[in-house]
This record gives sequence, C-alpha cells and structure tokens, in this order.
Amino acid sequence: MPPLKKIFQHPLRDLKPTLWRSQGERENSTAFTEGLALEFTPGVTEVNAEQDENGLSRRDFVRLMGAATALTGVGLTGCRRPEAHLVPFAKSAEWTIPGKYLYYASSMPTPAGAVPLTITTADGRPTKIEGNPLHPASNGSTDVFAQASILGLYDPNRSKEITRHSVKVSRADLDALIAKIRSTAGSNGGDGLAIVVGKENSPTVERLRTELASQFPKLLWVQDEAIQTNEDSFDALLGIGVRPVYDFEKADVILSLGSDFLNPSESGLGFAKGFAKRRDPKNSVGTMNRLYVVENHFSLTGGMADHRLRVRASEIGDFTAALAKVIATKSGDTPLFSLAGAYPSTGVSFDPAWVNGVADDLIAAKGKGVVIAGPGQSAAVQALALGINNTLGNLGSTINAVQTTAKPAAKLADLSKAMSSGSVKTLLILEGNPVLTAPVELNVANLIAGVPETLHLSQFADETSKVTHWQVPAAHYLERWGDARSIDGTVSSVQPMILPLWNGVSSLEILASLAGEKVDGPSVVRNTFAAVSKASTDTAWNEFLRNGFADGTAWPVSKPSLNPSAAAAAIQSTPKTDPKDFEVVFLRSSSVDDGRYANNSWLQETPDYVTKLVWDNAALVSPADAQMLGIKDGDWLKIIAGDRSIEAAALIAPGHVDKSLSISLGYGRKGVSHVMDKVGFDAYPLRDSSSLCFRSGVKVQALPREPYVFARTQEHQNMEGRNIARVGTLATFQKQPEFASEMDGELTKPISIYPNPPLTSDLQWGLSVDLNSCIGCNACIVACQAENNIPVVGKDQVRRGRDMAWIRIDRWFASADHKEESLEMIPMAVMCQQCESAPCEAVCPANATVHSEEGLNLMAYNRCIGTRYCANNCPWKVRRFNWFDYNERPLDELYYGPLAPKGMADSLKMSKNPNVTVRMRGVMEKCTFCIQRIEEAKIARSVKAGASDVTKTPLPAFKTACQQACPSESIVFGNINDPKSAVSEAKADPRTYSSLAYLNTRPRVTYMARIRNPNPAMPGADLVGSANRGAEHVEHS
Amino acid sequence: MSTSSNITTTQETPEMNAPDLHLLERPPQVLNNRGPLWVTDAVCSIVEGKTPLWWYAAIAFTGTFAAIGGACILYMICTGVGVWGSNSPCFWAWDITNFIFWVSMAHAGSLISALLFLTRQKWSLSISRAAEAMTVFAIVCAGVYPAIHIGRVWFVWFLFPVPNSYGMWPNFSSPLLWDVFAVTSYLTVSSLFWFAGMVPDLAVLRDRATTKIRKFAYGIVSLGWLGTARQWRHYEMMYVLLAGLTSVLVVTVTTIVASDCATSVVPGWHATIFPFYFMVGAVYSGSAAILTLLLPLRLIYPQLRDLITSSQLDKVCKLLLLMGSCVGYVYVFELFNAWYSANPFERGAFWERFTGSSAWYAITCLSINLTVPQLFWFKAVRRCLPLVFVLAILCNVGMWFERFMIVTSTLTHDFLPSSWKDFHPTIVDILTATGTLGIFFTLFLLFIRFVPIMSMNELKATLPGAQPHGDAGHSNHSTEAMR
Repeated sequence: MPPLKKIFQHPLRDLKPTLWRSQGERENSTAFTEGLALEFTPGVTEVNAEQDENGLSRRDFVRLMGAATALTGVGLTGCRRPEAHLVPFAKSAEWTIPGKYLYYASSMPTPAGAVPLTITTADGRPTKIEGNPLHPASNGSTDVFAQASILGLYDPNRSKEITRHSVKVSRADLDALIAKIRSTAGSNGGDGLAIVVGKENSPTVERLRTELASQFPKLLWVQDEAIQTNEDSFDALLGIGVRPVYDFEKADVILSLGSDFLNPSESGLGFAKGFAKRRDPKNSVGTMNRLYVVENHFSLTGGMADHRLRVRASEIGDFTAALAKVIATKSGDTPLFSLAGAYPSTGVSFDPAWVNGVADDLIAAKGKGVVIAGPGQSAAVQALALGINNTLGNLGSTINAVQTTAKPAAKLADLSKAMSSGSVKTLLILEGNPVLTAPVELNVANLIAGVPETLHLSQFADETSKVTHWQVPAAHYLERWGDARSIDGTVSSVQPMILPLWNGVSSLEILASLAGEKVDGPSVVRNTFAAVSKASTDTAWNEFLRNGFADGTAWPVSKPSLNPSAAAAAIQSTPKTDPKDFEVVFLRSSSVDDGRYANNSWLQETPDYVTKLVWDNAALVSPADAQMLGIKDGDWLKIIAGDRSIEAAALIAPGHVDKSLSISLGYGRKGVSHVMDKVGFDAYPLRDSSSLCFRSGVKVQALPREPYVFARTQEHQNMEGRNIARVGTLATFQKQPEFASEMDGELTKPISIYPNPPLTSDLQWGLSVDLNSCIGCNACIVACQAENNIPVVGKDQVRRGRDMAWIRIDRWFASADHKEESLEMIPMAVMCQQCESAPCEAVCPANATVHSEEGLNLMAYNRCIGTRYCANNCPWKVRRFNWFDYNERPLDELYYGPLAPKGMADSLKMSKNPNVTVRMRGVMEKCTFCIQRIEEAKIARSVKAGASDVTKTPLPAFKTACQQACPSESIVFGNINDPKSAVSEAKADPRTYSSLAYLNTRPRVTYMARIRNPNPAMPGADLVGSANRGAEHVEHS
Repeated sequence: MSTSSNITTTQETPEMNAPDLHLLERPPQVLNNRGPLWVTDAVCSIVEGKTPLWWYAAIAFTGTFAAIGGACILYMICTGVGVWGSNSPCFWAWDITNFIFWVSMAHAGSLISALLFLTRQKWSLSISRAAEAMTVFAIVCAGVYPAIHIGRVWFVWFLFPVPNSYGMWPNFSSPLLWDVFAVTSYLTVSSLFWFAGMVPDLAVLRDRATTKIRKFAYGIVSLGWLGTARQWRHYEMMYVLLAGLTSVLVVTVTTIVASDCATSVVPGWHATIFPFYFMVGAVYSGSAAILTLLLPLRLIYPQLRDLITSSQLDKVCKLLLLMGSCVGYVYVFELFNAWYSANPFERGAFWERFTGSSAWYAITCLSINLTVPQLFWFKAVRRCLPLVFVLAILCNVGMWFERFMIVTSTLTHDFLPSSWKDFHPTIVDILTATGTLGIFFTLFLLFIRFVPIMSMNELKATLPGAQPHGDAGHSNHSTEAMR
C-alpha cells in the first residue's frame, strides 16, 4: 500500500535554533530526529499494535466492537434466564451428609396424648413427619394434624417478635418480666398470679406445676381446652385421674354412642388399628366384629358402622337409658334398671326392634363387647354406658382403666370469677386462645383486658394476643425441648429439630424460670426424666431421645370400677333437654381442630371427611330439615340460641338426623391472618359452659340472601349405578368370596394391540387399598402433600376444580332403598392407578409421560408442555395440572399474571422435600408411588450388593408416604413380583378387584371390597352392604 | 355426473334434442350472456374501486375484536391456562371446541373447490375462491388454539421431531402429534392451492393497475405470469395435482382431528363413527359458512348476482341438506350405540349429556341440527335468500354447540361421578373466542379488498364460445392439460 500521507521533509535547521519546542529539538538529538520522522508515518497505529501485548490494533478493536454490538442485538443475549448459584454449606449441619436424610424420634403433644413421631430432616431442616413404629402407643402411623404440623413450623404468618403493647421488645425484657413476677409472687405467695395452660400431658409441666404450687400456694393454675374430653365425668365415676382404655381388638360387638373413636384426631392412633384387625373377613372368619353407631351426623366411625341409627345428640342419653333398661331386664340387673329409670327422659321413643337387636347382640357377646359414649356426652350418659359395660362384664376384659397422673385443675370459669372480682393481677396464658374458645357467658375478653399485667404465649398474634399486653411467640414443638405422655401414659420425648425460626419461646422455659429453675437446653426436661424413669444416667437419657420414649413409663392398667353413687348423682344432675326445637352440635373440625390449625393451608385445603368441604365449615342440616326450611346448599341460616345468634351457610348432609344442626368449631376468625380470613363461620358464640358440645332449644331461620359459595372437592356423591366402590356382606363373602371381581361380569381376555414397554425389572411395584379398613381419615392426603411438595391452590381454585391433591378420598353415599335410614358411607382412596397399559401415555404428544420397566407410569416434568390430553384420557382423573404458578404467586393474585409479586416465602422453601421437584405452571403432575423413596431404596440396594448380583440382594424396607401415614394399615405397597410381599398377599385376597377393570388398562392399584357384618335380627339388615345393588354390569362379547 | 355429461354432449346435434331433455340442461354459470370483459370488470372493480366506507367500519369492528382476542392470548400466555374456565375433569373446553369448530369449517372450503373441481362440477367455480380463502383463514383461527392452549407455550417445539442430543422424539402414537402434522400440512397445501389459483387473476390486476404501487405489488404476487400456453400447461397440471392433494387432506385431517376424541377411552368420545361424524359435520358447517359469507357479498356488490347465481346457491343448500341429514343420522346412531353397547359408562355419558347440566346446549345443538337443514327440502326455502342466510347462521351456531357438546359434556361426566364438575367459561374464554371470529372476518375483509374474490379465468372458460373445441358445459382446459 502506498503511503497515504506524504512524508514531510523537515528543512535542515541551523544547529542553534533560536526558537525551539523541546529540549530535544534545541539539542537536535538523534532521538528527536528519529521521532520526528515517525510522527506522521502512515500505519503508525499498526506499528504501535505490534508493540501492544494483546496484539489488538485499533482496527481490530473497532471490528470486534462492531461484531459484538451486532451479536448483542441479534442474539438477544439480554433475554437469558437470571443466573443462579449453587452454594455449598460453609459450615455443615451436624452429622449431615448432603442429600441424605437424618431421622430423629420425637413426639407431638396434643390434648389426646402425644403422637409418637420420627422426624425426617434434610440438611438440618425438618421436612417430613412419620409415626414412631417403636413406640407402644403407635403403629408407626400418624394423624392428619401431625402430618400437617411441618407446615405449621414454617408458617410465614407465625408471630415473630416478642411485643409489649404491640411494640417490639427484647428477650431480656421478657426475662425481666418473669423475674419481676417471680419476686412479687415470692413475696405474696403467688396471690394474684394466674397461669392458663392447655392440656399437654407433659410430665415436666406437671412437675413444674407442683413446684410452683409449693412455692406460691395462692397461685391459680387453670387448665383449659376448647373441646371437652370428659375428664370430670371420669374423675367422678371411676376415681380421680382414672380413665377408661378400650381394647377394640378383643371386642366382638361395639356400640358407639356418639363417639368417633375411629378418628385418630379424637382418640389417638391405636383404636383404628385394633378395630381394623377384627375387620378382615378372611383372617377372622366367624369373629369379624360388628359395629353399631348411634350419632347425629355422619362421622368416620358412623361410616364404618354395620348398623347406624340417626339420633339427635341431646337424645343419645334417652337411647342409652332405653338400651340400659332392656339390657338390665334381660340380664336381671336391677341396679342398672333403676339407674336407667332415673334418667330424665324427653319422651322420645326408639324403634324397639333396633334397641332389642343391639341389646341381644351385646348380651350374646358378654365380656367381648364395648359400649363407648362420645366425649361430647354428659356424665349421665358415660355413667349409663359404663353401667351397661359393667352388667355385660366388659369392664376388665375389653375395657380397662389406667390411673393417670392428671390432677384436677381450675377451670376457665374459676379464672373468670377471679378476674371479675379483681383478684388477678398477673395473668400468663401459655398457648391456647381463650378469647376465641371460651364459653361466651364468661366474658373472658373484657376480663383479661382488665387485668393489670397479661402475657400471651402463642404461635400467632391471635384474638387473645389482642387483649393481652405481652405477646410472646411460642416455639413450635419441632423447635423446643419437651416431653409428653402418649395415650397409654408412656413418657415420650419432644426434641428440637431446628433452632427457633423466629425468637420462639416455649412454655416450659417460662414455667421453669418462674419456678426459679435454670433453663439450659434440655435441662428442665432431663430433670423430669430423672424423676419419672428412675434412671438418670446419660445412657438412659440418650436412649430416651433415640427411641423417643422411656420404656415402662406407661400408666398401670387395672379393672375399672364404677362408683354407683357417683353414677346416680350424675344421672340426677342431668338437666332435661327440650325436644321441641333444634339442637346444634359443635364438632371438632377435621381441618382446624378447635381453630388452632386455622392458619395451616394444607389443612384448610384438606377436604372434610364427610362433606368434602375445603376452606370453610358449614351448618350441616338433614335433607328433611332443608326441605322444611326451604333451603339449598349455601343458603344462609340464622341460628339463635338464647340471646345469641350466628349466621352461617347451610350444607345439606345426607345421613344427618332431623331437627339437629352440626357445625365445626374454629372457623370464621377475623383479623388474625389473611389465610384465616373469609373462611367459614364462627360457632363459638353459641357455646356456653353448660353446652360445650351441643346445645338444644335452638331456633333456626332461613335468611333470604344471596347463597354462600362453598368449595368442595367432590360434588357428586352417588355412584350412579356404577360398581366403583364394591361392598358386600359377610354372608355374601362366605358364599362367594370373589364377589367383588365377579361384579365385572366376564371380562374379555386382556389383549392389547399397542405394544406396551416390556416390564423387565425384577421389581414390579403395586399397591392395594383395603376399603374394609380404610376409615377415610385424610392422613394419607396430607402425608402425600408433605412428601411430594404439593402446592395449595386456595378456595377459589378448588371451587374451579383445580385442587392438586395426588391422592384423594372419594366418599360415596349409597342406599339401596333411597332412604336416609339405610344410607351408607364408603370412603375410597384414589391415587394414580399406575396402569400397565396407561391411557395417558398413549396420547401424550411430547412423550412426557412414559412407562418404566418397573411398571411405573412416570412423569417427566421437564418434558411436559401441558397439553392436558393425558388428564382428559385418565379414567380416574388423578392427574393434576398447574393452571397457574401456584408455588410462586400469591394465591389471591393468581390472575394478575406477571404483575403479581413472584417468589415463595423463604421459610416455605425450607419446608420442601429436596428430593422432589417443585413444579412450575403449565406442567401436569400426579402420584408417582413416591418414586424418590423407591430410588433411594434401590440405590441403597446397589450399594449393598456391590459387585454381586443386585437382583438377589434384598431391597431395604420402605413405604410410600400414604402407606406410612395410614393408621388402619389399609394401604399396602410393594413388589408384586415377590410372592411373599405384603402387597402380593393383599392382591391374592379374594376381595381384590380392579376398579374400571373393563377398560383393560391393567391398573397396578387394586382395591379390596368392603364387607359389612349386619345382624339379621336388626331392622333393615337386608339393606346393609347393598351399595352395588341394582348396578348395571358391563357386558362383554 | 358422467351420464349427465353424456346427455349434454347431445346438444351439439340439435336434431337429436328430445323435447324433455332441456330440463336436464344445465343453467349457465354466468347469467345474462355476459362477455369475458364484463366478468373481468365485475370482479376487478371490487378491488380497483374506491374503498367503501362500510369496509372501513367493518374492519375497524372486526379488527378491534381481533386485537382484544390477541390481548387475551397474551394475557393467558404470561399468566397461565387457568385464566380460562377449564378445570379437572374438563381439561379442554373452549380451546378445543373452537379448534374443532374452525378446522371443520375449513374443510368445506377445500372440499367445494378441490373435490368439485376434480369432479368437474362447474357450478362451484364462482364460490370456490371465497371458499378457499375461508379455508385458509379458518385454519389460521384453528391453528391459534392448539398453539396457545398448552401450559408451556415456549416449549411448543417439543411437538416437532427436531433432532436433539437427548435422542428424544415426540410420541408418534399420540393423535395430538398427528394433529400437528395434519394441520400444518393442511395449512400449507390449502394456502398453496388458494394462492396458485389466484396467480392468473392477480396478473390481470397487475395488467390493469393504474398506480405504481399496485403494479409493483400485484407484479410481485403474480410471479411473472404472462399467460403463455407453456405457463398455462404447467399451471393446469399443478392445479390438478394440488386439487388432488387437497381432497385427500380434507379427509385425512378431519379423520385425525376426530381421532383426538375417538382414540381416547372417554365414554362419549371413544367411538369409531367419529371420523365420519366430523367429516359430515365439517362439510355441513363449512357450507353454511360459505352461504353466510357470500350472501351479504352478493347484496353489497350487485354485479355478483350474475356470477353467483341462485341455482349455484341452491346447490350449496342441497349440499347442506345432505350433510345435515348425515349429521342427524350420526346423532341418532350415537344414541343407539350407547344403548346397544349395554355399557353403563356409555349409557351414563349420554344420559348425563341430555339430562344433566349440559342438557341446555346439547338440546340446542340437536334441535338446530336435526331440524334446520331439513327445511332445505323445500325449493321455496332454498330460493328465499334472506331465509337461507338466517338458516345458514343458525346451522353455524348449531355446529358450534355441537363442538361444545362433544368436548365439554363428555369430559364433565366421565367414569367416576366423584370427579364430575361443570364447566363455566370466563371472560377470557369468551373474548378469545370472539377474537378468533375477529381475526377470521378481518382476514376475509382484507381478502375482499385486495384479491379477486372469484376465479375470473375459470369463469371465463365457462362462457359460451370460450372453448374452441366444444361447448363450455362439458369440456375445459384442464382436460386439455391432462391429455
């Protein structure tokens, strides 16, 4: 290239210039003359570039800049996903191996007794709760509340700071307060100090109570539970602290008088298992038990009944008296007859055939029967029930007594009296929510507000917190040390799984500080342990923590003896009820208990056992009453009891007795959190001290108002003549054991023109559900939700049919003669049936749902584009679609799209199972048979097998989440290739059938038909177990 | 048809013309002895004239709906499919209802132009271009739904067999995948068929253009058409081949769309009659749609009355009658089959369809589709064009309800009554549906304004004396080309 610029020739200068521009020029040095020549040389930049260490010339630079700018525009690199980082633990949590769970024994204190637990922690976070199979009062299962308590721990709405007059204060302020109370109480003997506690069955609380009582003799110790458990009745009838325990495994004939004893939330986990053991018609031929239930609304126990009588809660006493008379007459027991005769009858009469039938059956099963009255029934009914059991010789055989350590305490009524007289100066409410739950006439809210110093320890800043000066966040049971007695009295440990997330304080800490005991980790509990177990060694303590309980600490069992004079007194003091008007029965909610779990969205979205209602309670009315009042579902009722009334929407409940309403407690709370807002109706205002469980003489009016909108997960309860849930009687079963599969008619030979993937593995997974022992308690639903990171969708979405539960319980009502009297309830758990020839797989265009060689119907979330064709083609409709980003968007702002804030609360992120994908919007999901557990077991097997043949190595035992939670062991999962596995045995049972077998999808889930055991002498016995009567059969050519 | 063609051949020898045979004489395709120039003027004037005011008003109206529909789709994509009323068990509702509605409507256009072209049915020449346009626009509307209704639309490419490093392929046994191939190939072929047929006419517009822009634009789209014998020869051959391909696609695409339902196990869908059901339903709804579109056009442009003759419209009405009766037959047959199957699930599905919550729309659908087409037995009805217009709209409404019934009432009442749940459309559902109507009519208005709405070259070929070797009635250029 020729030079672009002319090389300028400088004229030769005078050696001594007169003017110069630099020293170089002046001296005319060689460096200057060389530099001068280079000054305007063409290509000088290139020359410089050669000297540049990057070798980057100006032109190269401009060229690259241009290209980069162009690429930036064309490649739209600005649209990339945000970068995320995986950060390893800087400090490892103790003993953890990343990706491996750690399991700890603990227990959940409840009013009914501790639920023994094994807690799964992942990287130091508790993520899942299971039953403790070692514990004598457990069978390794859990109830619905224990399963959901994991969400309770991480609930972002929990109270987070200690406050005084709604101003944040420090822990030191709280300690100072307690020290002040202690010093004041020390000087005046505890005068003016009142402590309210719940029923926690904690030996440490018992010990500290004794301690405090000795230090401050004038202390007022109040124990309060919203839902009555008949403690006083048994104190009077059987002796102080004596409680009956029932052995349903030994019982041939059971009569429940308004008792929902099969419900684990009411009476612990053991009863359902004992009952279920006697329900298998194959293993207990001739000895299958028979259950009579007398109740006002369908309970879980009523759903299991062989004969069920609808009786108003206020008339169950009349029924019991009538039955007692018949039994007394037939067995010549005059004391019982006179006891029953003294019962103030309302004049109601019962079908004599029914009463005689039950009486004869109970008498025939002398010593092998149980008559159990519900906790809502009065002392008189308890006395009569115990009297009948006494006459029949059941006391000492099927019914025993334990001498508990429970001591009578003052009641809320006593506190109310003390407060109104102004004698309470300092009030500590340790958990519980008396402002919400107390009987209305006690006027607790105003009285508490008048006490000079009040403190409320609670997990939420709730109704009571609003009237107290101090609000202290309570530590969740997974965050604190403690102990609790299970239903049989065994002392069980409560261990912290994690440090308190938000400054939580436990009631034990407060009580111990008050008693002047130093609180240092488990020290308070350990002191108690040393006393109750009589072994204070480190070994014993460590064993206690490892096993979760102290062996041999159960209460002694003895034969109960009914105190005749107390029984007579109880009957005499029974008020006569008014049979004319309505009664209203207050129920323990299947979702929020007495309201304590109202902020738990898993529970709010778990359907009620019977009504299948979510995010609401309702006034349940019988169909006849609904007709009489002229109302339909959702219509408003005004329920007037005395001078108080509530308004609630009605729901027609099949099988409900007439002239009676049932309503769950704990709903309709306002101003606590957005989760509880607009959820149900508060029934507490109708309760007073004399009507804690039901109230008669209630007037009901239908309000002409726009109907309330309920959300129910099942809107249609009739099988429509289809053989979905199959039911037979014991007689049918004995004649024709395979009656259930024979209902299919003659099925064609299973042929398929579609080549299914070969099932080559030695592991072939299958599952069996026993409809005969499934009580429909919902434990499996919440267990699945916790295990599989299933999101909550909110009431509005459930109403639109978008609930996400992978396992649901269909509740069928059936009645052969279409009468309320013969109505039967059948719960049926439905999860993905894992069809071998799956209709969903064939239609997915993206290959996102495919079959494994182990017979699993897999879901590849990453591949799913959400055509939803699979769900349309699923006959069981078990597939769930993420219509919105339920995990990432606030549930009340789902429709705002990208305008809604994105992200999950940090604490909720901690609650997720790290082994299960959290699904995004637009993705289909469904039950996987807990594939993460399967894979974990397979990996463990491979590790164990090493170089040897892996198929010959036994697989470590594991269960699916639903199976593990099931209190009645109805769900059995395992390898159907192994003929000795429990699931193979279950599937070989003659009662086994496939639902919708005619479709030839070959489901891996099979059901075992329900068997009813009617007493032929009873009225309507021929209608029992006739749910499938008149059903059409599929005909095959 | 071949016999009638033999009979008309006898016209060449007048002495053999028996007196009663003139009854079989076909009515002329262009009335009032119009010449070729008149035909050109009549069709081109619609495009060349000043844009009428009504057109602006109409496109503003339909364009607004199309824009709202587009906004709804955008909202749906960035929020979630949940903004629709679909639920479990009714995972598909208006999305697939409208997809089937539009794709079915498309079929009649192809059938009329391609199949009737192949069978030498001259009467369809004046309406075939509009029918093809309707086809293409209806497929566009239909195609919107399967593309957007999925949960993660950004992964829609998983549906295409794109080679990838995972070795993952789509599931070739899924009817939804067949849909992808069917609809895309149908859109391609029917667009080609439509466009190819227009090329000679676009060249006419180019030659007549007075402004530079028009000349340039029509020059581009007429692809250098000169009308030489060689071009005509190639053109005719291609047109016949495309017509053949389109005719096959009409059948296969309906069958595949019907397979979405028929290959499932859902009672009410799982029936072998579905391909036939969808086929007859498609032609029925498409014929009604053509009438709905052409009758107002004929009113607005009076010159078209000589081109779209009442005898041609009469034939469309007869097609509607035939297909409507077939649809009615399928309804009755479905019910019979459900009863005869003795399957409680099949019986239950149909019992619920007509007695449950879906009864109102199931009965609406049946009462329209069983009665309205039967009115076309009467010549007086067929000749009363305002009445035909009203009835055609009714048929379209009836067919929409049929699609709604097939999709929704079936899904809402399937095997387990515990899962039953009704479907309620949301405002987004409704506005998206009206949005596709808006897109369709907007495209059709553009079509009227910028493209010759009739095949001038074919029409002129039917004029007396257009064929040097015989009468226009039985011989045409395509046979020449095929020789």
